[in-house]
Amino acid sequence: MNPTYFLFLIYIVVSTLIITYWAAKRSKTTLRFYVASRKLTGFQNGMAIAGDFISAASFLGIIGMVAFRGYDGFLYSIGFLVSYVVVLFLIAEPVHRLGNYSLGDVICSRFPSRQMRFLMAFSTFIISILYMIPQLVASGFLLRLLLNLDYSVSVMVIGALMTLYVITGGMISTSWVQIVKTVLLMSGTFLLTLIVFSHFNWNIATLIEDVKGGTPLGKDFFLPGHLYDHPLEFLSLQLALVLGTAGLPHILIRLFTVRNTFEVRRSLISSTWIIGIFYIMTLILGLGTVALLGTDALLERDSTGNLAAPLLAQAVGGDFLLAFVSAIAFTTIIAVVAGLVISATTAFSHDIYHHIMKKGKSTEKDQLRAARLSAVAIGLISTLLALRLERLNVTFLVSMTFIVAASSIFPVLFLTIYWKRFTPGGAFTGMMMGLFASLFAVALGPHIMNPVDGWIRREAVVSLYNPGILTIPIGFMGAIGGSFIFRRQSQSLKEFQRFSIQAQTGIHSGRDGNEKFDGN
Amino acid sequence: MEKQVLAIIRKKNRRAGIFLTIALSLYFLIPLSLMFITDVVNRPSFFYGIPWAWLLAFLQIPLTWFFCGVYHAQAKSLDEKLEGMEKEGGP
Repeated sequence: MNPTYFLFLIYIVVSTLIITYWAAKRSKTTLRFYVASRKLTGFQNGMAIAGDFISAASFLGIIGMVAFRGYDGFLYSIGFLVSYVVVLFLIAEPVHRLGNYSLGDVICSRFPSRQMRFLMAFSTFIISILYMIPQLVASGFLLRLLLNLDYSVSVMVIGALMTLYVITGGMISTSWVQIVKTVLLMSGTFLLTLIVFSHFNWNIATLIEDVKGGTPLGKDFFLPGHLYDHPLEFLSLQLALVLGTAGLPHILIRLFTVRNTFEVRRSLISSTWIIGIFYIMTLILGLGTVALLGTDALLERDSTGNLAAPLLAQAVGGDFLLAFVSAIAFTTIIAVVAGLVISATTAFSHDIYHHIMKKGKSTEKDQLRAARLSAVAIGLISTLLALRLERLNVTFLVSMTFIVAASSIFPVLFLTIYWKRFTPGGAFTGMMMGLFASLFAVALGPHIMNPVDGWIRREAVVSLYNPGILTIPIGFMGAIGGSFIFRRQSQSLKEFQRFSIQAQTGIHSGRDGNEKFDGN
Repeated sequence: MEKQVLAIIRKKNRRAGIFLTIALSLYFLIPLSLMFITDVVNRPSFFYGIPWAWLLAFLQIPLTWFFCGVYHAQAKSLDEKLEGMEKEGGP
């Protein structure tokens, strides 16, 4: 291994471990462990949300996608960004006001029952694991390619680190690792963008002309349709991306880490600025890759496109910049997987252990022990799965996570907050139908069933790569249909109005601006 | 008082609904324009001759910041109004 790469890697690991050591001394209560005492400022939480959200798929994948697919690759990043409008307008403030630590708290504030809590914990767990596997598998390949580390060693190092951050420092260390990642990512990407842009004399026209010369497509490179030839795929993908974030548990639980809804809004606004600026830079880097390296050269080195950013860094800044970009990629992965572990841990220890198994009567000490054991178990399960899945292409699990979240958790959260006729039966049927429809549609789709290189060598039953356009309506129909079938369970108008006031203003909740929420 | 709070919530949701509808309509204009007016969005634009589809997609970034900013401003004034009502006696 190149000593520069090794030094950067050690520097990142040591820095994050110092953060974890500092956080460990402050994570002695459940309030601190699960939500960092709600002491983060809006801007800090915005940086942590960006750190939680921008995965390796965004940092490395989008640059490669823009380089190979042009416009279609750029549309991915637009979908990711616009999804924050949905989160802010519809979900963020009510989730903050209704929940303490988990999404189970949010739904149970209207429909308190052990079944409902179990269902939310189960969905959170499934989504977190589904999202964690591709991140870990990608980390294995990435570290092998960049640092010449063995796949298994890479996955185990990342798996061990993410578990260590969570068991020792809980949400405090996870948040600060994510904040550090955002600072590194933004500064590194900004530096790389400046260097790349300087190669074109800061002239967009030169960049565009050189892009046309760097691809066999010529000026057609800028036309849409290089990834999906059917516009319905576009529509379906955009729908899943824009609604998916509003159902991602690891993003939504970050809304509990600030003290009031003013800070919730500031968190999301800060994150949209960070994510938006980041995607503008990835666009320039993607185009810069085509112009400086050429599509064919990139294809020769790496057919997935994931190495576009590191190769570009090497081309414009030598081994030192490559080492820096590799360190950023490493930090990106550990920050995202740590966020996923804390989300799954909270679902298991708070919802299942504390509320369901112990009926809300376990002590702080027991809850913390359960949380730490859950984190170890989740870290172990996901690491073992990632080790087993080395030979399978699991990148589609990233978009699948958005589809599952948009089809199951989002409809239930949305209808719980806004629909007075919604019932627990509707929540149950909506969640189950959305979840299983997404899983089946992907399993019967071309990612899995493909005569050329699929897991199952047959024609796909569902022709869409991104079946969100089918599964999201199924989730909603399940929730609405279930509410009509189980309409006897519906609340009185008075009860719903009281809930609505709490969800949308915080009155009665004792949340905004005071500390009455300290506990469960 | 409860009625006043509910009226404020309805007003807030109506406004948020309008802005969200505009934001999502502009966003879904991208796939819909690719489906129905492909020729138009593929035409070279004034910006260095790249197709209009790029500009439409790029526009979503400042629009996202704009809509989030508008929401924050409205929610802030609502918070102040509710705070004032709470001080007067609560719902």
